[in-house]
Amino acid sequence: MDIETVKARAGPREFGRADDMPEEYREAATRMLQFHANSEIMGAYLEKPFIRQSPSVDRKLAFSAKVQDEIGHGQLLYRAAEALGVKTREEMLDELARGDGKFLNCFHYEMTDWAETPMIAFFVDGAAMKRQATLKQSSWTPYAHAMDKICFEEGFHVKHGEDIMRELATGSRKEQRLLQEAFDEWWPRILQFFGPTDDRSTHHDFAADVGLKTMTNDELRNQFLNAYVPKARKYGLEIPDEPRIRTDEDGEYYEVVEADLDWDEFFAIAKNEYPEGLDQIDGRATAREAVAWVRDSLTEADAGGPGATASAGGD
Amino acid sequence: MRWEVFRQAKRGDYHKHCGDVHAPDREMATLFAQIQHGRRMTTESLWVVPSEEVTEIDADDTAFGGRTDKAYRWATAYNVDASFAQEVADSEEEQAEVEQSRGDD
Repeated sequence: MDIETVKARAGPREFGRADDMPEEYREAATRMLQFHANSEIMGAYLEKPFIRQSPSVDRKLAFSAKVQDEIGHGQLLYRAAEALGVKTREEMLDELARGDGKFLNCFHYEMTDWAETPMIAFFVDGAAMKRQATLKQSSWTPYAHAMDKICFEEGFHVKHGEDIMRELATGSRKEQRLLQEAFDEWWPRILQFFGPTDDRSTHHDFAADVGLKTMTNDELRNQFLNAYVPKARKYGLEIPDEPRIRTDEDGEYYEVVEADLDWDEFFAIAKNEYPEGLDQIDGRATAREAVAWVRDSLTEADAGGPGATASAGGD
Repeated sequence: MRWEVFRQAKRGDYHKHCGDVHAPDREMATLFAQIQHGRRMTTESLWVVPSEEVTEIDADDTAFGGRTDKAYRWATAYNVDASFAQEVADSEEEQAEVEQSRGDD
């Protein structure tokens, strides 16, 4: 299929494994899926310590279920990426371990305190879900199918995150203070989740033309702000004066003042050159290395022929 | 030789198991699958798989999820309002449907 045919036919769930897609499409889709899959994995590593640090058994169960979900989402997306025939799952996982694999800005930061958990579990997951819901309409069917399952599960994650925030916001004055401090620290990063405004986004036009994505970062950021700023206020959080966000006369959020955000930091992160992010990458690479023997033993069992091994992991 | 047939009704849908065919080889199997399973209902694509290549595991062999109470895994377990974001509300609704049908199918 040539690129003009792809553009003419582009629509929700239009292309799949049986279609002969041009290289440009396969590479663009691989870039999106690999970024998305990497982000699921790195997000899971960020939250994993809170299985241990949970203040109650209920939270511990929920966090372990959530981390398991996210790893499964990563695997699901690597398979959807692999189907494009550009890179294998192993290549993508190796790139991530080497620091060549790219992933979401928010997962390059450390998260150490319980009061920070809603920043990821509510705001970042909520922002991710905004984007993911639109990707159900992606033209690459394996991507859209992965989104069906991921969005089904994500509702739990976001509500669980809000539940933690509610608990902290209605808790002791110390808890309220810690929540506000976490919010002050994470808010600019959350605003950068959808990247810079579209005129500076290099990949959007092509991805939109071939139906890989259906909405611009500006539209998504705007929808996110309209839903999540009122939520933050509801729980008594003060929105920091900077970065400034502007509303139109109807009170709809329409613009983040970009000059107020640290784009040097953002682009250092985008290149995997931010020190905290490198720690996250190395931490995961070390954990992966530490369990290499599990993978090796599975591969050895594989060599024993069909039925010799149990399949690894779950979605 | 028996082959399992999965039918996709329209582009972008999932391939769903719709039946099987007898055929001596792959080529005949795809032909019979078309005739038996792709003739009446609109069909975009068929997957045809040798039955013996399908591995089954059932509820006698293992304990699947969904039968034990794991309320903490469900959006419905958290008493916060999901209606502020359509996609969160949609997810909660899908989960509520599955929760309600638990044990029915």
